[in-house]
Amino acid sequence: MKSIADVMAAHQVIICAGSGGVGKTTSAAALALYAAQQGRRTIVLTIDPARRLADALGLRELGNEAREVKIKSRGSLSAMMLDQKGAWDKLVERHAPSEEIRQRILANHFYQHLSQSFAGSQEYMAVEQLAELHSSGRYDAIVVDTPPTRHALDFLEAPRRIADFLDRQIIRWFVKPYFSAGWATLRTMNRTVGALFRRLEDATGVSALVEVSDFFTSMASLFEGFEARVARVNRLLKSKETAFVLVASPDEQVLTEAEYFCRKVTELAVPLRGVVFNRVHRESALELRTVDEDWLRNLVSRAAGAEHGPALAETFLNYETLAQGDNLRVEAFRKQLPRRTALATVPNFEEDLHDLDGLRRMIPYLVGG
Amino acid sequence: MTLDSLFRRRLLVVAGKGGVGKTTVACALALEGARRGHRVLLCEVDGLARTAHLLHGREGAVGEVVEARGGVFLMALEGKAALAEYLQLIIPVSRLLRAVFSSRIYQYFVAAAPGLKELMTLGKIWYEIDRCDEATGRRLWDLVILDAPATGHSLQYLRMPAAARDAFTAGLVHREAERLVQKLTDPMRTAINLVTTAEEMPVNETVGMYHQLHDELHMPTGLLFVNRMHRREFSDEAMQRVRAAAARGRDARERTVLEEVVARAREHAGWAAVNARYRTRLAEQVNVPIVEIPFLFTEEFGFAEVKVVAEHMCHAPLAARRGQRA
Repeated sequence: MKSIADVMAAHQVIICAGSGGVGKTTSAAALALYAAQQGRRTIVLTIDPARRLADALGLRELGNEAREVKIKSRGSLSAMMLDQKGAWDKLVERHAPSEEIRQRILANHFYQHLSQSFAGSQEYMAVEQLAELHSSGRYDAIVVDTPPTRHALDFLEAPRRIADFLDRQIIRWFVKPYFSAGWATLRTMNRTVGALFRRLEDATGVSALVEVSDFFTSMASLFEGFEARVARVNRLLKSKETAFVLVASPDEQVLTEAEYFCRKVTELAVPLRGVVFNRVHRESALELRTVDEDWLRNLVSRAAGAEHGPALAETFLNYETLAQGDNLRVEAFRKQLPRRTALATVPNFEEDLHDLDGLRRMIPYLVGG
Repeated sequence: MTLDSLFRRRLLVVAGKGGVGKTTVACALALEGARRGHRVLLCEVDGLARTAHLLHGREGAVGEVVEARGGVFLMALEGKAALAEYLQLIIPVSRLLRAVFSSRIYQYFVAAAPGLKELMTLGKIWYEIDRCDEATGRRLWDLVILDAPATGHSLQYLRMPAAARDAFTAGLVHREAERLVQKLTDPMRTAINLVTTAEEMPVNETVGMYHQLHDELHMPTGLLFVNRMHRREFSDEAMQRVRAAAARGRDARERTVLEEVVARAREHAGWAAVNARYRTRLAEQVNVPIVEIPFLFTEEFGFAEVKVVAEHMCHAPLAARRGQRA
């Protein structure tokens, strides 16, 4: 079986997927640090609004710009965070065909109030940023941490959803005539649409509709060439340079979702190359399973004293129970994976890992067999 | 705020970072509410039927009421379905219109007003809260509990009514959104409860979420559930004594066992220290009463464990707030 180290060495783009709360951000940061240690020019990209990566890398502020993390290694490590609101503003700044359109978008009510919640915008921005970093040629390794969605697959479907959102056909058919010819013209032009418009007008207020169509008309010009970019990004996601690494924990619900992810990934022809299990309660030597509990309690109480002995023995037995549950579930999950999938098990350390030393502590478990 | 006063609200939102046990806490609150004789509806949004799994309910269709164990009722909500339902109410379209509506304009409308789905989900929840039995005229539910999506996303939900109110300057959506804002910010009716574990990243998110709720959204908070607390009931000296005993153990087996006991004790003590540290930080930075829930050592997590959590909730002393924010 391959290790995650092999997967890292063979790919330029590593995408960490998985449901929330499994240590995805920390794992992505640790993998990036490892790549830098191997002498590669590395960047880790996170899209998490909670700034968890900033914590993990010991940086107080992670901006939309790549920042170099000071580490001693042969390669280099940069980190970058996508702030959603900022990212959209940046996109508008970058792609607006004229100053007038740029101002019109930034001043639009809808844009101001809702740009933080466009469906899939977070994921799309990550993907667009990834494509840009990839084509810049500045990095040998790009590690991507995906948003904390309930459904790990949202990330893959985002470009398509944004493409639907900005479907130029719809904009041409619906918005442009309204915007250019005006409300009255459209109403007489098509009675059906007119009647529907009146209802929508009642529901939303006319000014809102004007704003919406203005918004879409402006955005449409912003996204000229968008389809070509989505196609390019999709090619990159499925190319030989890219590897998906699923991050999971031995939690039953997490694993149920992980199973679904693995099935879907095969259907979508996305290259799932590795699985990382975080915070697995380590199994002690096998023979200990046969330990007689009363004998153990006596032994520990003799050693520790009658006051604290029982609690120490209980703690030991409790962790044995956890370890057994974790390892049964991990083992069952592993059996369903294609044989060449790399697997890593990171133990439940006795501390919370969120700084560079913590990441270093994680690396041997992550990249080893 | 105590557990008793919490159960006098109409809507309890349970929010927090992914993976901290939000669904478990939501289920435990629902069980406890039902045990106290309330009619409780537990809602899950765009979900994975996790509540149904934990409370042994059938996995119902979207919008269907399903009875689960412990007298709790479950409902799965989905943004798209709630929006369709709502639009059908406000736009009683002819068949021809409906055909148009089901295709492009509808899709356009959904895309044109991002966040509308979230808004409609909250609208649907308040519809259930206000719903009365047709025969008796009595309210259908005493209490509705919402198991919200992971942090970033659940704030997005809660932010939506105010955003929609400001984006749509007039009309029905504006009025509906305003009504929702009124209800969600009314401390007599709503309480937003936070769930976290006492670890760095979940605590960071919880502190951030608390500030947004409090300073930006002006929504009333309920309780802060600190889940999976490791408690240590042995001293360092006792650990040292076991380590020493391991070194002079009678045979290899005894030595191995005692070494493992020390290793497990260190793992536990480490987490207990981490938990205690972040528990203090929470008390200093989040002005919400804390309810601690201990870590449960089980091989699997199911209905029995949720019941244990519910019992802990009832008996856990409410911690006094240590820090007061200026």
